[in-house]
Amino acid sequence: MQLIAVSINHKTAAVQLREALHLSDDEIREIIIKAKDNFIKEGLLLSTCNRTEIYGIPVSSQITHQQLQNIITDNKNSITISPENFQKFTSRESLKHLFSVISGIDSLLIGDNQIFKQVKNAFAIAEEMNFAGFLMRRVFDSAIRVGKRAISETAISEGAVTISYAAVQLIEKIFSNLSKKSALIIGTGETGEIAAKHLRDRGIGRLALSNRTFEKAERLAADLKTAVFPFDTFKDHLHKFDIIISATSAEEIIISRSDVESAMKKRNFASMVLMDIAVPRDIDPAIKKIEYVFYHDIDSLNIIVEQNLAKRKDEIPKVEKIIDDELDSFFEWYNSLQSAPTIKSIREHFDEIRAEEVEKNINKFSSEDREKLEIVTKRIINKILHHPTTELRKINESGTGAEDAATKMGIIKSLFGIDKPEHKEKT
Amino acid sequence: MIPFIHFLNILLPILYLGTFSIYFYDFMKGEKKFINIKRLFIFITLLMHLVYLLIRTSEFEHPPITNVFEIFTVLAFSITFSYFLLELITDIRGTGPFIIIISFVFQLISSMFIVDQFAVKEVLKSNLLGIHVVSALLGYSGFTISAVYGFLYLNLYKDLKDNRFGLIFNRLPNLEVLERLSFYSAVLGFILLTIAIIIGVIWLPQAFPGFSFVDPKLIGTALVWLLYAIGIFTKLFSRWRGKKLILLSITGFIIAIFSTILSNFLSLSFHSFY
Repeated sequence: MQLIAVSINHKTAAVQLREALHLSDDEIREIIIKAKDNFIKEGLLLSTCNRTEIYGIPVSSQITHQQLQNIITDNKNSITISPENFQKFTSRESLKHLFSVISGIDSLLIGDNQIFKQVKNAFAIAEEMNFAGFLMRRVFDSAIRVGKRAISETAISEGAVTISYAAVQLIEKIFSNLSKKSALIIGTGETGEIAAKHLRDRGIGRLALSNRTFEKAERLAADLKTAVFPFDTFKDHLHKFDIIISATSAEEIIISRSDVESAMKKRNFASMVLMDIAVPRDIDPAIKKIEYVFYHDIDSLNIIVEQNLAKRKDEIPKVEKIIDDELDSFFEWYNSLQSAPTIKSIREHFDEIRAEEVEKNINKFSSEDREKLEIVTKRIINKILHHPTTELRKINESGTGAEDAATKMGIIKSLFGIDKPEHKEKT
Repeated sequence: MIPFIHFLNILLPILYLGTFSIYFYDFMKGEKKFINIKRLFIFITLLMHLVYLLIRTSEFEHPPITNVFEIFTVLAFSITFSYFLLELITDIRGTGPFIIIISFVFQLISSMFIVDQFAVKEVLKSNLLGIHVVSALLGYSGFTISAVYGFLYLNLYKDLKDNRFGLIFNRLPNLEVLERLSFYSAVLGFILLTIAIIIGVIWLPQAFPGFSFVDPKLIGTALVWLLYAIGIFTKLFSRWRGKKLILLSITGFIIAIFSTILSNFLSLSFHSFY
């Protein structure tokens, strides 16, 4: 199979280089227009914050990986690229790489299921740009199947692997229904914002924000449609919340043990979760001694993240098995495309020879024997071709690797001079 | 039929052990492939147990409630059956091993010591007694399940407080669910025990004219009933929750066990039938 691919990703290049080569959807469309017909008949261009890669069926065997790489780097003159920044793949390896990417095992964050959506989006752009032909569509289908199977048949995407998600996972081990709970986010920097969005996504009943710079909290509150408390009064409202996540850049403790004790009394000791994801810490760790107070800081959340990452790594062999299954299944289909025309060519080639010889010698036979001559010569050809035809069919059924199948078919064609120019001229 | 009863008597502890093992393995490994197999196991075990109880009732011409080892086998069945219903209703499947092990222990003791008893005391041949015992056993099953969920709650609570994120953290449902399961099981147990007590009070003067209200069994049962009543009342009308209620439920369960041991094994009560 003539599929080739190049990839620059988190394994081969630093973030600055990856960022420099990142392509927007519009840039991808422009590149596809340039690449189509000049270099690639059909293909796929994927660009995320951790990788930019191009897959394609070259217009001729002369197209190299370097030319494919140039398609991506052509408009990025200011960057310096070394050969090891790009991975190069051919045939089965290209497909295997795509399957590894879509299943999340090649991601920086193993099992990250964002990549599944990103690859699907890349497929959609290829379709939209008529960059997806007969072969690539089949590649897309197989890749999507790999992604879905990896998610449903393995635990590769299970468990939180970011601090914010780990915080939510922990909260869900305490409370059963977040829609009936309320949360206060103190500090609306990047971490606080992500935590607020996660809670909103998980259906938190009531969400409120507080930040030293009130306007900043107001802006995020407008996005998330939540309430805002001024920073100097948020302590008066602590008891109203079941979940408090603090992520400020304060240098000192902003929630003391006595603040929480007082809030718990007002809550009649209903369970309260306090997540301190700030460095240095915002909440006095001594509060963990108060009954029904669940206090966790960034270190304890890191334990969960590390455990989940280890579990995901353990799932990689299962995903690799799925990838191998789907690769075999893809090449079984692909080989069937290859061998069916070969069988047809051989049969046509032999039948032409037979017909030619019959025609030359037909006058040597009586008119009543001519029909028998046709039958006998056809039977001879069938008997001669029975074994090679069976062998070629076996290539499909056994799902032999593409290279092996191509070699066998190449030998047969070469031995009988099939597909050679003179043969084509004759036919 | 007797040989078949004997065969089932040996088979049942094995089935409970098998069911416990698959639930326990699934709890340790957390693999999806056992989700349906373990449900099949528990179903087959309960079915065989039901067949055993029915054949036994038919063959010996009395329900298996006339001595402590017969009661143990009914208790084993009702605990696992109650858990099975709870699993079907809530779809919470990670807590099975902690409950099925109790049924296994009860069934093992029963299978080891149960005898083929054809003749039973005249006093035990009463329909009221049947309802009394069945409701009491189901009530105690409720308390057992409540105590198990309470125990799991305390473990998860401690792990969460101590930042331990092991099997308990990963496999058990959340604290609120465990508290709810424990509470609902206790409420169900309380209602059934109340029915058992009412029937017992009606039946008692007929069956034992000389009984005493200071009998250890009656005091023990009253204490258990009172504890659960306080727990349910404070939960519904006061502000008790979490650990306090759970500890009350576990205490009630322990008193119930002691009360049974005192009355049945030490023959200190009119309630001793063995």
